[in-house]
Parts: sequence; structure tokens; C-alpha cells
Amino acid sequence: MRTKFSGFLTLLLVLIVQLGFAQEKTITGTVLDGDGLPLPGATVQIKGKSIGTQTDFDGKYEITASTGEVLVFTYVGFKTQEITVSNQTTIDVTLSLDAQTLDEVVVVGFGIKKERRELIYNTETVDSEVMNMVQPTTASSGLVGKVAGLQINIQNNGVKPSTQVILRGLTSISASNEAAVVIDGSLTNQNAFDALNPNDIESINVLKGASAAVLYGSSAGNGVLVVTTKKGNKNKKFTVGLNSVATFEEVSYMPEFQTEYGSGWQGDYNPIENTNWGPRFDGTMRQIGPTFSDGSYQSVKYAPIANNLRDFYNTGETYQNTVYFSGGDETSSFYASIGKQSTTGTVPKDTFEKTMFRVNASKTIGNLTLNLNTNYYRDETSVVGSTIGSQDRPLYWFILNTPANIPLSRYSDWRNDFYSSPNGYYNGYYQNPYWALDTNRNNDWTDRFTANLSGSWDPYKWLNVVVRLGLNKVQGHGKEWRAEQTYSTDDMIAFASRPDAVSSFVVDNSSQALTYTADLLATGTFDLNDDFNLKTIVGTTQNTYHYHYNAIQANNLSIPGFYDVSNGTGTPDVVVDEAHTRRYAFLSDITLGYKKWLYANVSARYDYTSTLSKGDNNYLYPGGGISFVLTDAVESLKSDILSFAKLSVNNSTVYNDLSAYRINETYSSSSGFPFGDLAGFALSSQTIDENIKKEKLNTSEITLDLSLFKNRLNVTASAYKIITTDLITAITPSYASGATSYLTNIGELENNGLELSLNGTVLKTQDFSWNLNLNITHQETVVNEISDGVTETAVSTNGSVGVYAVEGEAFPQIKGISYERDDQGRIVIDADTGRPIIGDLKNLGKTTPDYTVGLVSVMKYKGFTLSATLDYRTGHVYYSQLADRMEFTGRSMASVSANRQDFVLPNSVINTGTSDNPVYVENTNIAVTGGLQSYWTDHYNLITENYVFDATAVKLRELALNYSFSPKLLDGTFINKLSLGLVARNLLTWLPKENRFSDPEFNNSNSNAIGIGGYSQSPPTRTFGVNLNVEF
Amino acid sequence: MKRYFKYIQISLALIMLGSCSDDYLAINDDPNNPTDVAPDLILPVAQKYSVSYNLADRYTNTLGNLFMVNWSQSDEYSWYYDEFNYSVSAAFYGRIWNATYANTLKQYEVLCDLYVEDENSIYDNYIGIAEIMQAYHFQTLVDTYGDIPYSEALERGNNPTPAYDDAQTIYDDLIVKIDNAIALIKATDSDDEVPGDDDIIFGGDMTSWIQFANTVKLRILIRQSDVTSKQADITSGIADIMSEGSGFISADVVANPGYENDENKQSPFYADYGLSVAGEDTNNMLATCASDYIIGYLEDTNDSRIDYLYSVPSTGTHLGVPQGLLDYPTGLYVSDQVSLLGPSLVSSPEQDAPVMLLAESYFLQAEAIQRNFMTGDAQAMYEAGISASFDYLGATGASTYYAQGIANVSWAATPDTDKIEAIITQKWLALNGTNAHESWIEYNRTGFPSGIPVPLNNTNADRPVRLSYPTSEITGNAGNLPDQPDEFTEYIFWHN
Repeated sequence: MRTKFSGFLTLLLVLIVQLGFAQEKTITGTVLDGDGLPLPGATVQIKGKSIGTQTDFDGKYEITASTGEVLVFTYVGFKTQEITVSNQTTIDVTLSLDAQTLDEVVVVGFGIKKERRELIYNTETVDSEVMNMVQPTTASSGLVGKVAGLQINIQNNGVKPSTQVILRGLTSISASNEAAVVIDGSLTNQNAFDALNPNDIESINVLKGASAAVLYGSSAGNGVLVVTTKKGNKNKKFTVGLNSVATFEEVSYMPEFQTEYGSGWQGDYNPIENTNWGPRFDGTMRQIGPTFSDGSYQSVKYAPIANNLRDFYNTGETYQNTVYFSGGDETSSFYASIGKQSTTGTVPKDTFEKTMFRVNASKTIGNLTLNLNTNYYRDETSVVGSTIGSQDRPLYWFILNTPANIPLSRYSDWRNDFYSSPNGYYNGYYQNPYWALDTNRNNDWTDRFTANLSGSWDPYKWLNVVVRLGLNKVQGHGKEWRAEQTYSTDDMIAFASRPDAVSSFVVDNSSQALTYTADLLATGTFDLNDDFNLKTIVGTTQNTYHYHYNAIQANNLSIPGFYDVSNGTGTPDVVVDEAHTRRYAFLSDITLGYKKWLYANVSARYDYTSTLSKGDNNYLYPGGGISFVLTDAVESLKSDILSFAKLSVNNSTVYNDLSAYRINETYSSSSGFPFGDLAGFALSSQTIDENIKKEKLNTSEITLDLSLFKNRLNVTASAYKIITTDLITAITPSYASGATSYLTNIGELENNGLELSLNGTVLKTQDFSWNLNLNITHQETVVNEISDGVTETAVSTNGSVGVYAVEGEAFPQIKGISYERDDQGRIVIDADTGRPIIGDLKNLGKTTPDYTVGLVSVMKYKGFTLSATLDYRTGHVYYSQLADRMEFTGRSMASVSANRQDFVLPNSVINTGTSDNPVYVENTNIAVTGGLQSYWTDHYNLITENYVFDATAVKLRELALNYSFSPKLLDGTFINKLSLGLVARNLLTWLPKENRFSDPEFNNSNSNAIGIGGYSQSPPTRTFGVNLNVEF
Repeated sequence: MKRYFKYIQISLALIMLGSCSDDYLAINDDPNNPTDVAPDLILPVAQKYSVSYNLADRYTNTLGNLFMVNWSQSDEYSWYYDEFNYSVSAAFYGRIWNATYANTLKQYEVLCDLYVEDENSIYDNYIGIAEIMQAYHFQTLVDTYGDIPYSEALERGNNPTPAYDDAQTIYDDLIVKIDNAIALIKATDSDDEVPGDDDIIFGGDMTSWIQFANTVKLRILIRQSDVTSKQADITSGIADIMSEGSGFISADVVANPGYENDENKQSPFYADYGLSVAGEDTNNMLATCASDYIIGYLEDTNDSRIDYLYSVPSTGTHLGVPQGLLDYPTGLYVSDQVSLLGPSLVSSPEQDAPVMLLAESYFLQAEAIQRNFMTGDAQAMYEAGISASFDYLGATGASTYYAQGIANVSWAATPDTDKIEAIITQKWLALNGTNAHESWIEYNRTGFPSGIPVPLNNTNADRPVRLSYPTSEITGNAGNLPDQPDEFTEYIFWHN
């Protein structure tokens, strides 16, 4: 077989390569690194041809070449070497390390390429291999834990999870703090990022601060992820590859539930209860559900059923397949891929499918290079609705309202099995969650097309002109519906209670968003003399955004099961929401270099925006800084220990503008109106400062880059300060002002952070290598000032708990109803009831971590690669709605902590003085009344402080074991590359003892109201699976 | 080199030329929401708010019915714990403050803002109506909270943190506000716009508005009847009403924009305590029932209104539930066994939403006469009040009822010293279910009706006399917010 394949390959080669080469011979050799160790996987190519090979595990290669041809040896991180073939047949090569990564070129704003040594700010690049360690479905989840200063919150674990990407913490109270995403030079957003096939990404450069991104203007204030997709290489032979992943997802942990008490209320057994306030489990057979008129009823053993709620969830399955093609000749290259993902969720019947097409092509004609990057994306999501039952609750709510003795998974066949049916189900208050799966659905389709056409023209050696047009069009369509459900108790003779009837509706919505960008950029590079070099960039950019959304809701449908808006009764609710914005800017970036070790950079952008009022809609913002390569300035600093040192400082100012139509107060048609021909409009509840203006962010940053021990260890350390003033904020005014929200410019936020990133090779031998990346982030945003007479403002609150910005406190801050405490922190109780006195709303802690540590480990042994990502976050809190709800259902550990009896609250005091002059006396004998139940459900439950927990988490985010077949082994087959792997995500999570509920990273909204989550998400999951990558 | 820069600059300028004009950026007008709206589109919304934020679930009416022991909670519901426990923290019923200011008063203020000093507006009728309704709501706020933002209130962005005004000062100004409104309405001429169907209370009948203004004014005056320094003002104020000449309201004042059985279009009380649009029972309806005390009271006084205020349960016998019960006896108080809210309170999704009942006007006049602020026949007014209440509910036999020789039922059987108690007690019965908040305020003023119990498992001696300032003020107006008063001991200023 082998010879046959070889022959076939040779034939192919003969066809591809020009015929008639003279003096061909076989050349062998070994490629070594500076320490004399072999470099496996180094590329050996014949210059100008698409012929090439790779070294094996021993660094050996074999290639056929002719005398006079040039062999090119390349290996990532090493300097490329070229050797002309003369009469030798053995060519051994020692590659030297690249003068650190500092000669590496990184892509910064607007596709501008800069050498690392000239950068005045901290950026970090993540390559595709590290990002795709466990073959994530979205690129953002593959970045978690890998970059200092980058916090990615996976906010839920649905089939289409939403993520929040924040760089360097929060800098704004009301405006979005999410990082901008630039894909192949065009400014897009988080959704476009999530729509990328992770396999198509070549690298992601993280521009952490506003200084790095000042050229992007207002979008840059939160940092930028600069994504470069695969382009295919010139002079590379045609490659076809397949990447397949199959993963399985299961619930990793449920909240910690009590298992001592079951169905009931006030200590009495009740067969139709949703709560666990019954008597202690006794193992006897007891009735559950109503007694029906024929005398029948269900009985189950009155004992806890292990995993009765967890068993509701399925093992989800995800299959990802990508086929890719790439190649190129002397003047062109291309990359194309087709990807498909099919997912079923842990929630039964939840499904997600997406299809992605990408075509990237590049062609050079003389001094002009044209690039086209296009991506088409489509997804289809079907998930259970989030407004189940008459109270519009999420699914988890119904699962939580299932007592410990109920065999929940037994009720899956709700259509055929009587005891699972709406009228036969045991629970008198909340519906069967299996019923909810079929009667409440939310289906969505999204189409997204992005295209990016650019031309790069080099008319002179010193001049480059780039024109780029970008298009991002998204079309969404959704249909959400709920079936009507009525109940009858006629057939019941005891415990005849049913949940409220459920009304039906269907919502049909569609949305379109179109972003159109155009850039023109001219770069001039001038060597002024031997020492001075000047690089000037001038350009202009334009961004146009159109948005249109409409939704129709029809209620109380006539024909059951027919979900079309024509089927509604009464007047349908209709909403149309549009937006149109325009921005353009002129920009300039000038870098003056001295002897390649000192660089001074000045950048400026002048913006025009349609969203601010006329006098205030154009403004300049400047940035500037210095980069100083110490080891090149003072050569004597270089040693075996220190090979490179660079210090850079910068300061920049960026302004945030508003979204569309926010400068005028408006009226809207009031709920219920029109009544017949009587129309009514209400003045908006938000009032707007008539002098509303832009928000200002000023960033200062200092960064030190070090390469140590012959580049074995690279260290990057940054400190920064971001001061945001004139914050465009919807503050909470006094409602007595006639408004519930006041959009104005307020106060000052101060964001300080430290970032340390260590990249090192721990061990390296001939067969084994171990690389570690450790990144540590400390970040805190403090509210220095709100405004005159106002010391706090709510980002989101329900009155008893919420996320706030509070003067003098870290932001975002959770405030909740607290205990009243004496000066020693003891809980003040009511002497009559023994119950704690309910205190005011109190600051309960910040919701973003003080410290984040990420650890990425990659070990290689021969063909094996074992990689892992660990992530630790601490110093923050979250409010668990789940824990709050579990108190009411009597399933919490707290609810059994006092044996369901009256008890003396430990460490409590009574006030024997007056409210103005309190005298606190230790309480030793006044017991809490209602310890059986009402204390917990009605009193303890009101004190939201009880549900604010330490959000610390350590997660083994990623673990992968991969085996790559040696090129030697594949030699002579039609396969060029073959690897097999095992992948796992979130395999292990460690949480503090007080948080036994859910993942503190889950969040209800994608806004700045970070730190409120619970039952709107499903329980946390882990995934594991297999991966195959093959290239031909 | 310089030359090249110039070219670059010129070409850049050329490319952007078309874009630089102001027109290019003048695209910031909201296409979905108007910025200017005529008064006839503002008024009906304001008036709808006026009734919704009294009658809807957990606003003033709910609170009054629970505090005044008209309502209780059926078994199988954990619905009114905070109300039974008098947990009157800042988080308790803050929505009364929030909705009244940020919806109702705000919306009227849009009309009030049409008034320009020394300028003749064609919207004086609208302005007058808005001022009267604002006075009506501000009184309730003062009665509930005491000192509140008033003179600096409702200025939105111009004053996001309004200062608090003294309650008595506000009361005095409310009289001025009403007088100005009446004068404005009376001075209108044929150029002035007269509301039509957009006035969902009186359909543009401006005489009715003046009568309503007089009645609100009477309520404000009578509330201060225990304030020694105000005696002369009350007398002269009432004399002003009489000399104005339009008199008091002559019918129940109700609002109805055209409520119908559709989502968000049901009459507000029905929407929250009646059937759903699809005709199904709602939790609120099943959870809310009569208290044992009110059932006992109505039965003891042979009050035929009982079957209109409360529905007869499947057992055929009225049954009320004690407030604050923790451990419900099994099966006894489930919703089909107890007296839920009655057919006259929850009649149809189209039902009128009461603003002020005629009965209340009669009882106010009876008290004014009884206290010698006004001349007339106190007994006749008292009995007219009872009859008006029976009429409103559709009950019969009012005269038989008040002829019974029971104190606080019959005028004659009530000792002369206790006539006020009879009036306030009957007002409590008349406002049951529709405007019970007013009966809680009158209880705080007079201590009547006497003998109403405090819920079980509640250690307070009596009900709260005011509410705490809400959390929204703690967040949004901390600099002006007074110390939270003691909700059980610090009475509103009119309490003697």
C-alpha cells in the first residue's frame, strides 16, 4: 500500500509542480534549536514553490530539491532561515530564537500592523491553538482564563449561551462596558464574534485599554478584541481539512437540598404541596395529589428521592464539524470553510443548530493587494419559553417547586399518563415541568452576513494606502408561544386545588440590523536619518447603523395549538422600534522612533456623531505615549538572565456618546390605549438632561515587558488607572420629581488595576515540554462621586435587592435588605417575636472580582499534548435568587438548620433603650417565633442579605488530551495531519461552603447589573467529548 | 514629502466632503415616539392612572382593605404576610408613592405646564382639571406620608431632588390650588377647548368638575377639624364653597375610558381581582377573602350589603378568615369555602372605576354639620350617605337598615357624643372595597371605627398611622429625606 500511495503522491506532485526539473536530489537533515534540541514540526519549504514538509519528532526532515533552490526553515517563535542548496545532501540547521516576541508584528487598530517593541500599551495575543484547546462552540468561551484583564462571564448554560466580555472592569454605570470586537479590520460587536466559527480564527489580539484603541473612538473605551481570521498562505499547497467534535453535556451539580422534610405546610403533611414544610420523613406510603371521584389517588413513599430534580435534565449532545480548504500561489491565497453545529440541551427538547460559511481570499496585483473576507451564519434555536404558567416563571422555578419525595422524572408522559396530565398532576400550585416543555416554546432564527473588502496599495516604498468597506447585516426572526391551559376540580373529592389557568399568546418578532463601515487609511514610513524613523498614519472612518425591530403579540388564541398572530382575540400588541445613527471621524497616529529603542507616539481622533445635540456632536480626543526598550538602549543590561526589557507609558482620552434618540423626552402610547377611538399618550418615565453631553474616559497606563532566562520566561506587568467623568447615567431621581430615571452626566468613577502575565517554558527536553501561562488581575472600580444631593443610583433593583452605584463604594455594588445590627455586629431582634428587626438596604459587596487568576498549562510528550485552563476569581459576591426561592419551598439547608423549631437566634441582642438612644442587651432566652415555618418563609426570607454569597470560584475550565500522529507515520499516505483528542470543559468547580446553589458567574441580564442570578438559568453543567482533526 | 501630505489631505477632504454637512448628522428624531402631544391625548391617561393606582393590586385600596380588616387571606395562599405583620419598612407599598408621583401626578403636570402666567391659554379647562386632580392626589400623599415634596416636585430633570414641604403648608396650598382651578375654569370663554370623551370622568362637564373640586376641598378642610388653629379657616373655607354655589358632587364619581375584556383593557379592580381575559379565576381573586371580623360586623348589623361586598361561598354561608392566621385548620378556609370579594366589587371587566363615591360626600357634609362648620341636617346627610352606599352596591333596604336601633347604624340610636363615630364607621363600610385607604386615614384621624382587631401573631397594639418613605427616596433623594418617622406613633399633623 505504502508504495502505491507514494507513487500516487509523486504523480500528483508531478502534475502540480512544473515538469522538467534538472538535478533533483533528496536532501535530509535535522532542525535544532539554540540549545541543540530537535525542533519537531518545523516547516521546510522550497522558496517560491508550494513544495514543503515538516520535521518529525526527532527534528529530521527529507525533501527533494534542486541545486540553486532555496530552502526556507520556519518555526513559530524562531527566526526564519534560508539556505541555498548547493552540492550537499545533508543540511542541518540551528534556528535561533526570535529576538523575543518583540519583533513580532501585531495587528492593532484598523488593521494597522505594529512591532511589539514600538507599542506604548499592553496587548496580548491568543493564537488559535490555545483558544481552541477544547474545541469550544464560541471563541469567547475559549478565551476565558487566558488573558490578564479579560473577564468573560458565561451568563447561562443554555444551548445558545450568552457571554459578557469585559476588559479591565467597568468604566461606566449605564453605558455598555463590553469590549468592542474588530474582525479583519471592521468594527463589529459581541454577537458577530460569537457567530464566528472558532476554527476560522487565526489569532485574537486583545487591546486592553482605551489607549490601545483610541483610533476606534467611542467604541474603544472598553478595549477591543482584534480578530484575524485565517487567510490561507501564499505558496502553500492546497489543503483540505476536517475538524470534528462530539461533546456531551451533563448537569454537574445541583443546589444542596435538605432531605429531612417533604410535602406540606406548617408541619402538616399536604399531598398537593409544592413546598417541603411537611412533617419529617418517615418512610411510610403517603398520598400525593388529589383524591379523584372514583376514590383513586397516587401514593409514594414519604422519603427523599436522591437526585429527583437532577433527573429531570438530559445529557446534552453537541456535534461540530468543520471542513476547510486553503491554499495559495505566488500572488493569491484563499481560505474557505463550512461549519455546522448541532446541539441538544440538558433541558429536554432544547435544540440549537448553526451553520457557518466563510470565504477569505487575497490577490496581489503589482503593488495592490485585495482582500475579501466573508462570513455567512445562520442559527436556529428552540428553547422552552421563559413565561411559564400564570405567573410567567422560568422552567427551573417549576422544578424547584417539587418536594423532595416526588419522583419528578416519572411524570414525563404528560399527554398520555393521567397522573402527569394537567388535571392529574400531584402539585396543586405549579405545573408539571414536562408539560411546560411542550406548551411554552421560544423559537428563533438568526441570519448574519458579514463582508469585508479591502484594498492595500503600496505606490511607493514609504507609502501604503488602505481602503476598507465593511458590512454586517443581521436578520432575526422569533416566535414565542404559550398554550392555554384550564383546569377542572370537578373530578376531585379531596385536595381539589389546581394552579391558576394559563392564558395563551403568540409573539412574532423580527429584527434587522445593518452596520456599514468605510475606512481610508494612509501610512507613511520615513527614515529621517540613520537614527530617526517616522511612521505617520492619517485616515478617515465612517460608521452607519440601521436597526428595525417589530413584534406583534396576539393573546387568548382561538384555535388551540395554532400559533399565528391571526389566531388572537382582542387587540394585538404591536411594537416597532427603529434606530439610525451615523458617525464619522478623522484620525491620525504618528510614531517617532529613535534607534529602534525609543518610540514616541501621538494619536488623535476627531469625531462627528449624530446622537448628540448639534453644539456638542464633534470633538477631538488625543492619546500619546512612549515606549523604551531598555535592553537595546543600554546593551550592557543584557545578560543570560535578562534578554529583553521594555517600559511603556501612555495616556489617552476617549469619549462615549449616546445611542440614538436619547436627547429628547418623548411620549408613548400608554398601556391599554387606544380604548376604541380614545387614544392616550404618556410622557416617558425617563427625563433627560437638556444639556446631556459626552462621557469622558481618561486612561493612564504603564507596562513593563521582560524576557528572562534566554526567553524561557516572558513577563508583562501593567498598572492602569481609568477615570470616567461626566458619566452618561440614568440615575434614580426622587420619584417625586415625576420621573423614575434621569439621564444625565454625573460624577466620577475610578478604575485601578494591575495585570501580571507570565509565560514560560517550565521544562523542555528532547521529547517533553511544559509551558505555563499564569495571568493575574487585580481590578477595582470605585464610585468617587454621583452628583449633588445624590449618593447612589440603582442600575437595577426590585426594591429589596439590586445592583447600585454608591458613592465611596466599589462598583457594581449589591444592596439588599439587611439585619439591623449593634455596633458589635450582633443582630438586633424584636423582643416580642424573637425575630430579627428588618434593617434598611445595605451595601453587601461588589459583584466583580478583586482578583482573577488564570493558569494555562500545555504539556507535550512526543505526539501527546495535555492542556488545561484553570480560572480563579475571588473578592466578589452575588445574589442567589435560587437560594431565596429554596427558602420558600423549604428545600434549603437553612430551613432545617434549627430543626424547624423556635430557637434563640445566636449572637443576637435586644434593644432595651429607645430607638434614638439604644441600649443593647444580649439575648439569651427570647426564641424566634414561627420556627416551624413562618419565620423562614415570611421573615428570614425578606432579609435579602441572607442570599448574598461569596462568588469565589475555582474552575477547571478546560482539559484536553490530544494525540497527533507523527508526520513520519503519515508519510506516504494521503493524510498530512491527523490528530485525535479528548476534550472537557468545566470538569471541576470549587465553590465556598456558603455557596451551595449555582454558578456565581450566571447572570440574569447582559447589562451592568452583574451579580444577580439563579433560577432563570439551568443548573451548571460540564461537557466532555472527543475531537478529530485530519488534513489532506 | 510635504507635497504628498498635501495630496493625502486633499483626497481625504474630498472623500468626506459630502458627509460633513449638518444634515448628514440630523437624523436623531425618534421615529417611534412623538415629542409633542395634544392635551386631549394626555388627559385620559392621567385619569386612568388616577383610578388604576388606587384600585389595582397592592396600591392604596388593597392596603386600606387589609389595614381596616375588610379583607383577609384564604388558605393555601401566602399572600398578605407583610400587611398582616405591619412590616411597614421602606420597601412596603413604596409603589403608592412611586406610581402617584411618577405616573399620575407627572401626567397631570404635563397639563399644568400649559399654564403660563399672564397669558391666555385655550387649555384652561384642561389646566383646571389637572390642578383639581393633583390636589386630590397630593392630599392622599400627605395623609399617607406627612411631609412630602410639593413645591419643588414634578420638575423632572430641572430638579431631580425636590425638597420636602411641611404637611400643613401643603394642605393650605391645596385649598389655594383648588380655588385657582375653579377660577380658571369659570373664566373660560368660547375660545377655550372643552374636553369631550377624552375626559373619562365627567366627559367635559365643567360644572361637575367644580362640584368635585368643592368636595375635595371639603375633605381637605374636614380632615383638619381637630386642628385648633384651623377652626376659623375651615368655617370660612366651607363658607367659600357655599358662596361659590355649584355645590358638591351629585353622583358617584367614576372613570371609564371604555374598559373592555381584553389584555390591559380590563377595569383595574376587575383586572386584578376578577377573572382573566380568558374568563379564568386568578390567584388574587382566590387568595383574597373577607375577614371574620367584617363578616361578623355585617351580620350583627343585618347589613344587606354583605352579599354585594362578599360572595356567598359554596356552603351557602358567609365565612370570613381571621387576619394573620399562620396555621390554617385543614380544609376550613380554602377559597371555595370562604367569602371571596363580592359581585358588586367584581362585576365585569367593563365596570366603572370609582374616583370618589357619593356616599363619601354625604358623610363629609354630615360631619361638617355635626361639627357646626356648616348648617343643615346632619342626620339627613348621614342617612343619604348610607343610602348612596347601598345604591352604589345595588343593595336594597337602606332605610330599614339605618332604622335599626343599633349604635353607629341608626342616627337616633347613636348617643349625641358619638355621632362622629357613627359617621366615620358608616364611611368605613361605604368605602369597603373601593376606597378603603380613605377609611384607614379617617381611622388615624378619629380612631373610628372602634374595636377593629389587630391581626393574629402581630404584637403591635394598633395599626400603623403612616407609611415609611420608600426606598426610591432613600436612593434618589437622600439629601432631602427626613428621618424615617415612627410608623406607629408619629401621626400626620391633622391628628389631635
